[in-house]
Amino acid sequence: MKNIYYLVGFIIALSSCSRDFDQLELATYPDIPEVYIDGFSPGLNYAAFGGSKVTAFDVDTETKYRGTSSMKFAVPDAGDPGGAYAGGGFYTDIGRDLTDYDALTFWAKASKSATIDIIGFGNDLGESRYVSSISNLRVNTNWTKYYIPIADASKLTQESGMLFYSEGPENGMGYTFWLDEVQFEKLGTIAHPKASILDGQDQVISAETGDERQIGGTTVSFNLPTGVDQVVNVAPAYFDFNSSEPTIASVNELGVVKVLDQGNAVITATLQEIDADGSLTITSSGQAVRPQIPAPMPTVSADSVISMFSNVYNNVTVDTWNPFWEFSTTAVEDIQVDGNDIKRYSNLNFVGILTESDKIDASNMTHFHIDIWTPNSTAPPASFKVLIVDFGADGNFGGGDDSSHELSFNSPLLRTEEWVSIDVPLSNFTGLINRNNIAQLVLSGDLSTVFVDNVYYYNSGTESSTGPASSSPNPNRNESSVISIFSDTYTNVNGTDFNPDWGQSTSVSQISLMGNNTLLYSGLNYQGTQFAAPVDASEMTHIHLDFWSQNSFELNFYLISPGPTETGFSLNVPTSGWTSIDIPLSTFSPVDLAEIIQLKFDGNGDIYLDNIYFFKEGENENVPSSAAPEPFRDESAVRSLFSDAYANVDGTNLNPDWGQATQVSELIIDDNNTLLYSGLNYQGMELGSSQNVTEFTHIHIDYWSNNSTALSIFLISPGPAETPFALSVPTSGWSSVDIPLSEFSAVDLSEVFQLKFEGNGDIYIDNLYFYKE
Amino acid sequence: MKYLLAFLMITLLALSCSDDNGIKNTTWQLVWEDNFDGEQGQLPNPENWTYDVGTDWGNAQLEYDTDRADNVQLDGQGNLAIIARRENFAGSSFTSGRIKTQGLFDQAYGRFEARILMPYGPGIWPAFWLLGSDIDEVNWPQCGEIDIMEYRGQEPNIIHGSVHGPGYSGGNAITKSYGLQKARFDTDFYIYAIEWGGDYIDFFVNDDLYQRITPEDVTGEWVYDHPFFIILNVAVGGNYVGFPTDQTVFPQTMLVDYVRVYSAVE
Repeated sequence: MKNIYYLVGFIIALSSCSRDFDQLELATYPDIPEVYIDGFSPGLNYAAFGGSKVTAFDVDTETKYRGTSSMKFAVPDAGDPGGAYAGGGFYTDIGRDLTDYDALTFWAKASKSATIDIIGFGNDLGESRYVSSISNLRVNTNWTKYYIPIADASKLTQESGMLFYSEGPENGMGYTFWLDEVQFEKLGTIAHPKASILDGQDQVISAETGDERQIGGTTVSFNLPTGVDQVVNVAPAYFDFNSSEPTIASVNELGVVKVLDQGNAVITATLQEIDADGSLTITSSGQAVRPQIPAPMPTVSADSVISMFSNVYNNVTVDTWNPFWEFSTTAVEDIQVDGNDIKRYSNLNFVGILTESDKIDASNMTHFHIDIWTPNSTAPPASFKVLIVDFGADGNFGGGDDSSHELSFNSPLLRTEEWVSIDVPLSNFTGLINRNNIAQLVLSGDLSTVFVDNVYYYNSGTESSTGPASSSPNPNRNESSVISIFSDTYTNVNGTDFNPDWGQSTSVSQISLMGNNTLLYSGLNYQGTQFAAPVDASEMTHIHLDFWSQNSFELNFYLISPGPTETGFSLNVPTSGWTSIDIPLSTFSPVDLAEIIQLKFDGNGDIYLDNIYFFKEGENENVPSSAAPEPFRDESAVRSLFSDAYANVDGTNLNPDWGQATQVSELIIDDNNTLLYSGLNYQGMELGSSQNVTEFTHIHIDYWSNNSTALSIFLISPGPAETPFALSVPTSGWSSVDIPLSEFSAVDLSEVFQLKFEGNGDIYIDNLYFYKE
Repeated sequence: MKYLLAFLMITLLALSCSDDNGIKNTTWQLVWEDNFDGEQGQLPNPENWTYDVGTDWGNAQLEYDTDRADNVQLDGQGNLAIIARRENFAGSSFTSGRIKTQGLFDQAYGRFEARILMPYGPGIWPAFWLLGSDIDEVNWPQCGEIDIMEYRGQEPNIIHGSVHGPGYSGGNAITKSYGLQKARFDTDFYIYAIEWGGDYIDFFVNDDLYQRITPEDVTGEWVYDHPFFIILNVAVGGNYVGFPTDQTVFPQTMLVDYVRVYSAVE
């Protein structure tokens, strides 16, 4: 605005260069108050809003409050091919000076009692910097005078937005309303101004450097000449914003807050020296913690998917990823990681993701999928919740046919600073009775920052399409020390009933994976296994299970003796590949190990099981009897690739397909995750990201093998440049080796991106990490 | 700020056009006053004021008037606050206050004035008024009633001055309204006054005389030749004002800077 004054002043100065610049008056704009009395006031234009019925507005000489004509607005019926609603703006080519007025007033009536969605001024079909409006204005069949107070007329020195409106059908029915005597007035009887930002709420948010947020909920309230208060929704530009700590968070004249540094700042505002209710307290943690790698690439075939957000699929139309529902503090931002689009939600308390315009028909889908990554603590009881809402046959919110269900997810499925794939059968959303009009997906919970990718519904098709890609690892224990329940490798106890009717809803089947018979529990709630005769496992030390699940987030395993006496053990799900676990039988106390009659699982999801057997430890020389020694080095001097003791480099692929014959599995020895290479020929490891290890001096490895005769470890940098280092085998117990990095001379230590092992035999590996001496 | 300016202009206009209105040329001497000085939250001086506790008062008023500081208190800034609240109390949905000088102070004739900032909103009915001290003997309306100021919260730019007597009470009172063109009574203090003699009562807003009532104007007996006492109250609802609505903002406060009573000096 100032620029225009300057421009005008400058032109005059040029044309009469003898005049003192100070004597020039600012350009002024006409202060015409009339908008529509009996016709368009000077310079007034009309434009219909996009998607509205363009013929909705007309001049009416029959129905009028006073004079010769009024403005008539014909709101269309729902489904009118001419447009879905009535809406448009009246604006002038040259702005008007409205600084002497305190309200826009008009008389209105309607063909029936109705509520006009929005009516106001300041919409110039452009920046609309000073837009003001009333929502839900009630009109009826009597002419009544209405007032839209001006929040701060001193701002309106050249306003061209004179009047705008938007109104849809009422319960599907169109109607007509009229406005007359539309004008700006100086009433003098507009009183008791109150101002609010953020709808008067004192919001507290956490933030990171670089976050931006628009201060919304900017309203003023005035007492009208009728004694009632009128709330006006106004543009933030009417307010003067203030930051208590401008170096922590700045705020501009349009109410856009930018987080600049770590610390605390409070954003407040005034309107014409009135302190606005509401504030935004920002606690900035400084530089953002963000995923370094994209979410796992979806592998479901595109023709089985209805995708809302993914780079891999064509996405359906989503109305909004943040409707700014009342009391929601959530902000959303589009970011990229390695060229992959990701939604970043911050200050997530709850957020709706709306498909109300084009509802999703997921009736042919079986699963819902979403990948999330959070920097927040996921320790219990922290939860992340997913609510799916279907609007039912009427396609509208309410109406008695809506259905919905919310699922809550916790640790161990939730993990911090790792991509987590939530992949849930839609049948788990038990309250979601219909799913052919899905209109809302609502995310909520305790994680305030959540990165989201690959949001889609899909049909899993045949079970194997989401099942394990390979069969379970082959057991390598001596049959003489094993009592097997379910395994192709051993002779199983006779007559076991793998699907006794205990009233469960689980569906049980046995499938063949690469020729290996595998037990599948689909849609687990609980599931028993009944032995033909009690099993005496009192001589045994452990029970072994191989299990695999992509979609389970709870899985417990029980032994049962008569009584019944039963004890459970919680299994970590979902799994990444097959998980092999040896559970000490002492865990199941007080179950009578001499008389085990049943097994039981409970939880959820689809579970693949194999190699269920009791065994006696120490009878098998091919398995370490204890975990690898616990590392003692301080984490600050370590960069770990595989260890329970340290945070490992994110996203490492422990089993890339380099054409090797080696079988890779992770197993738990004494509660310690251990890597097993069975039948090694060679085996690669692709680090989640290229590692600069020049600051380190050694690489440490713990390994165990009693049948290997050759074993080398390679570091690899791009080129590839690789150097082997021979490890002595077989070992007697765990062997711990610290290899100086100088041994890998050909390798660029600033860019180590792969490791490789070559040799033979079965190798157990743990605590693989770089460190600085 | 803007509103203040508007008020000043109106006031000036009002002064300039009320010059030759026949104001009685009287010298007034202050005989009684309460400036409501004191600490915030205190009840007003009990030597000056007593309470009407109860509800309805013959007008179907909705509030229960109490003698609690929640409803009647000094504001610590030199004003009396009578506060109408939306709260359930003694079977009513609202509370407020109604204070009077009955039995403590009364006077016949003179200038009665108060400087008041109005509350606002539909159904809010504040008043500054006088009742004849013989009310207990002769009853209302024989005792006489002089309403120096009444106001409806849904018309924040209009006040009313009235007298009620035998044959002209209630809806038939002798009354006149005074309106502000572009200002309101709830955004600044105004002085509401009567100047009362043996055969006239003059009604003022600030220095603006807007009504004179004489024995010829009343349609019944002139009952204004004996002492009257003072009442200040904020009613909620009632026959005169109508119901408050959901849009009426509560609490609503009438602030009274002072009440002063003068006698004419001969």
